[in-house]
Amino acid sequence: MPRGTSYKPRRRGAYTHGQAAAASLFLLPNLALVGLFLLVPLVLAFVISTQKLGSLGSPQYIGIDNFITLFRDTIFWETVWNTAVFTIFTVPVGMVIGLGVALLLNSVLPGRTLYRSIIFLPLVISGVATGVLGSWMFDQYNGFFNKFLHAIGITGPAWQSDGKWAMISLILVTLWQRVGFDMLIYLAGLQGISPDLLEAAKIDGSSAWQRLRHVTVPLLGPSTFFLLIMNIIYSFQVFDTVWALTRGGPDFSTTTVVTYAYREAFDDHGPQQLGYGAAVGVFIYLITLAITVIQWRFSRTRDEAG
Amino acid sequence: MTVSRRAFLSGSLGAAALLGLGACSSPNSNAGTGQTSAGQSSTGSGSTKSVGKPTGTLTFAFWGGSAGETAGFTYAKKQFEAANPGTTINLKVVPYDGFFSGIDRGIQAGNAPDIFRVDYTTIGKYSKNGVLLDVSPYFTNAEIDQFLPALWDAIKYQSVPYGVPHQTDTTCVVYSKKAFETAGITSVPTSLDSAWTWDEFSAVAQKLQSTLPHNKFPFAYDWTQAGAFRWLSWLYQAGGTLLTPDLSKCALPSSAGTKALEYTQSFFAKKWVPANSTIKTSTYSDNFFLSQTVPMTFVGDFLVPELADPANGYKGGDWGATFMPRDVAAASDLGGNAIVALKNTKNPDLAAAFLKFLVSEDIMKYFCEQAVELPTLKTLVNEQLNYAFRPDVVKVCAQQATTISDTIVKECTIAGFADINTALEDQLELAFHGQSAPATLDAIATKVNQAVGS
Repeated sequence: MPRGTSYKPRRRGAYTHGQAAAASLFLLPNLALVGLFLLVPLVLAFVISTQKLGSLGSPQYIGIDNFITLFRDTIFWETVWNTAVFTIFTVPVGMVIGLGVALLLNSVLPGRTLYRSIIFLPLVISGVATGVLGSWMFDQYNGFFNKFLHAIGITGPAWQSDGKWAMISLILVTLWQRVGFDMLIYLAGLQGISPDLLEAAKIDGSSAWQRLRHVTVPLLGPSTFFLLIMNIIYSFQVFDTVWALTRGGPDFSTTTVVTYAYREAFDDHGPQQLGYGAAVGVFIYLITLAITVIQWRFSRTRDEAG
Repeated sequence: MTVSRRAFLSGSLGAAALLGLGACSSPNSNAGTGQTSAGQSSTGSGSTKSVGKPTGTLTFAFWGGSAGETAGFTYAKKQFEAANPGTTINLKVVPYDGFFSGIDRGIQAGNAPDIFRVDYTTIGKYSKNGVLLDVSPYFTNAEIDQFLPALWDAIKYQSVPYGVPHQTDTTCVVYSKKAFETAGITSVPTSLDSAWTWDEFSAVAQKLQSTLPHNKFPFAYDWTQAGAFRWLSWLYQAGGTLLTPDLSKCALPSSAGTKALEYTQSFFAKKWVPANSTIKTSTYSDNFFLSQTVPMTFVGDFLVPELADPANGYKGGDWGATFMPRDVAAASDLGGNAIVALKNTKNPDLAAAFLKFLVSEDIMKYFCEQAVELPTLKTLVNEQLNYAFRPDVVKVCAQQATTISDTIVKECTIAGFADINTALEDQLELAFHGQSAPATLDAIATKVNQAVGS
């Protein structure tokens, strides 16, 4: 600022007040929607989780009894384990495949738009439809896979009556559905990487693998972080595909936490214990929140280091 | 095509329970004649609330299990509105999945349909919670006597009727005639009295198995998902019950329970059923038959139209039907649905009038013929019905329905039956994958006792 020029600052109050009003106006619709459809149900879920509440009749406050029952419920812990296994095998594997496909389709490849569309297509199909398709494909007596294996002289696995194979079928169907999303996000990330960096690394003598390992993958950090969060949340909340594909069976081998909550609370022919179902929902919320917070902190540190 | 049920119902097991007291002229038989049936009693003793000519608008929600069912309800609506000028019944067809959740949310929010369809195993939840209209003021004793007693009992809670028994269905065995011929099974039971014993049924399964490749199986059973309670038929056949006579406690473990469970577990051990023909599966017993994975299956009569459909039905040649196996007793499951009205409906008289109209003789007859389901009026049980598909199969189911005893009805319509069914789903699934019979029965007993508050 030149010496001698009288500086007359804008009145702080008027400036911020006007801006705040405009910002509030813009934010109001979103805040109202978030409050109505996210925060209110969230608070209500916590409230209902402290009640004995059937689908009809009046609620009865029971404190933390639902949570005590939950922690003693061996089936619930089996569903937690199933969900963890499902998450471990769908999230990293899906992201690796998605990255591989994205790298392939980011290069000059004839018909790459068509390939991208084909790989992305399963994502726009509803989870229920995917599950139904999966149940046809993995039908252990009349499905495509076992008939194909039979045609080449191999006895197909018991996709529906063996718990391990049922989980594998669920993972495969989920990967088929979600790889397109991983590919899409990574494609966007790849197109944001300057070719100059890769060119410079190449001139410095790095191999293709080294460029991928030390240049591309680190620069895809934000995409990886986003996918990790979204995929873990998705895996912890998986419901529709499981319900249509296996109904949580055989036994409880593919019952996930959410399908268990649904069965306890909402299944027409189930116990319809909304309070208990809400307690399971609260558990899912807290676990997801914890994982997200941990990842968030991890990611920020890494970004700062990078 | 017509079929008379009179001959085979007479004298069969359970006929006394079904036929009840002496025949009366049906007070509900004026449907479709241009006369109003609303709230009027023409014969019989007891008091009926006089409601005059009903007017107004109500909503009736149901799931259309088949095109025939939807056609039957649509026909009833039109006939009712024509017979009762000034009335409108809005039909609301809702998918079966989530149907009752929607009803429950509606009741809580105060915008549930005035009238809705409910299966007999679910009605107890609503009547216990006091949300249904007590229809006793609208029915005389003579009118009540028109219904098969077991099915009228199915809609009662603490002796009060909540709704009307609209139709019933039950399980029978359908089979491929060609597969039976190949296996050398030349004789199939043609009456309840000659139904296969468990030993005879086992022999049939073994014969079929001997002629089938490794990826085909003798039969499948209809206990999938919410149908888990159909396993109870084996328990009843073995002479057991699920509950004590006063319905206060679980009657398991019992020797009959062990016998029934071990026998049904053996279906899997001996590979008489596909390994995925369990409870928690997405493949139902009719799917196995349609895909010709099995040449014989247990199905409800409501699936007959699907199997008989020329375009998408069974493609394995001619097929027939026979009875459920029997052991100490013959038994089958209580299928079918009631129609109920909400207690706080804005027009209870109109709701009651429509309920009565739905169970009037002509309307019920039309519905059952279209949907291939069994009527609940004694007069129709004794009458010829023109079933749209395979009356020979319906004849078998109708006869099989006489094995639905009072005990079966009482146990399957208690208020906590949904909890019991869930326990059966979980524990039978485990049992079919190797859990021991004693452990299974103990676990079922624990859950059932919790459900009945014992």
